[in-house]
Amino acid sequence: MQPTFEWMNNLPVSAAIRESIWISPLVNVGHLLALVLLVGALLIVDLKLLGSDEGTSLDKIARDAEPWFIRGFVLMFLTGVPQLISNALREYYSPFFWTKMLMLVVALIFTFTIRRRVVLSADGAISTGIRKLVGAASIALWAGVAIPARLIGLFT
Amino acid sequence: MGQWLLPLRGAFEWVDTFPSSIAIRESQYVYPGLLTSHVVALMLFAGLILMMDLRLLGIGNMQTPFSQLQRRLFPYQMAGMVFSAITGVALLYAQPMRFYPNIFFWLKMFLMALAGLNAMAFHYLTYNSVSRWDKDPILPPAARLAGMLGLGLWMAVVVAGRLIAYNWFQ
Repeated sequence: MQPTFEWMNNLPVSAAIRESIWISPLVNVGHLLALVLLVGALLIVDLKLLGSDEGTSLDKIARDAEPWFIRGFVLMFLTGVPQLISNALREYYSPFFWTKMLMLVVALIFTFTIRRRVVLSADGAISTGIRKLVGAASIALWAGVAIPARLIGLFT
Repeated sequence: MGQWLLPLRGAFEWVDTFPSSIAIRESQYVYPGLLTSHVVALMLFAGLILMMDLRLLGIGNMQTPFSQLQRRLFPYQMAGMVFSAITGVALLYAQPMRFYPNIFFWLKMFLMALAGLNAMAFHYLTYNSVSRWDKDPILPPAARLAGMLGLGLWMAVVVAGRLIAYNWFQ
């Protein structure tokens, strides 16, 4: 992996990002705004999983939220790549970066397989216990992505 | 920094000398812990505010009547706000003289005040007529305006907060 990260770090575009005073902060701000969107679209469903059955059904809430979750994720990816390539060696040597990436893979697979099946299922098809478990697991997994991410920059 | 802030300088300098302020500032884990908690809390708050603003703008969460969405999310938004405020005050307490000369810190405080006024105006004026537009796909102009201002102002608060880390104008 190390040669790949060195290659990313040495790209002319990486150097250009590093040398600009403005690009990194603006990309970073975009990443944070995308995170707000992603977390909102995630929690609106997870809190329903954890909460009561009253009101609009879970599958309708989930169908409304899904496009916003995907938009948030695409924006996170687009603003994440420039930060990765311009700091590739710092990321390579940060255990928090690798924790984040591992959690990200697990959280994504969970979200688009198990969680998606549960949240889009018909009313009453899934027991309350399973629903609550899936909601809690979803929040825990995504917190496991976000928390190490914040720590990458704090412990370098 | 503007002359009108000068009376506050003494208070910031005074807090800066507190042993407990210095202890947090110099601890290896408490300060990063507070910073990370602040981010988690504000994600909870701003994320759910954004979901409500999308509903007001008529572009998201449209299968839920507005009043139901507001009732369901309000307790979590308040929890996020309280937790953000506690961790935010602790961060300020630990490094008052880092924040005092930072324009983005004061910009953030100002934008938060505006966002708060927008939320109160919506809650005490526009929300009174919610029964007439609760399920409408296109909401009245006052509700859409509140959604647009809420979205713009809270996002600007997040941006200004993040930019505090960059001391371009000191």
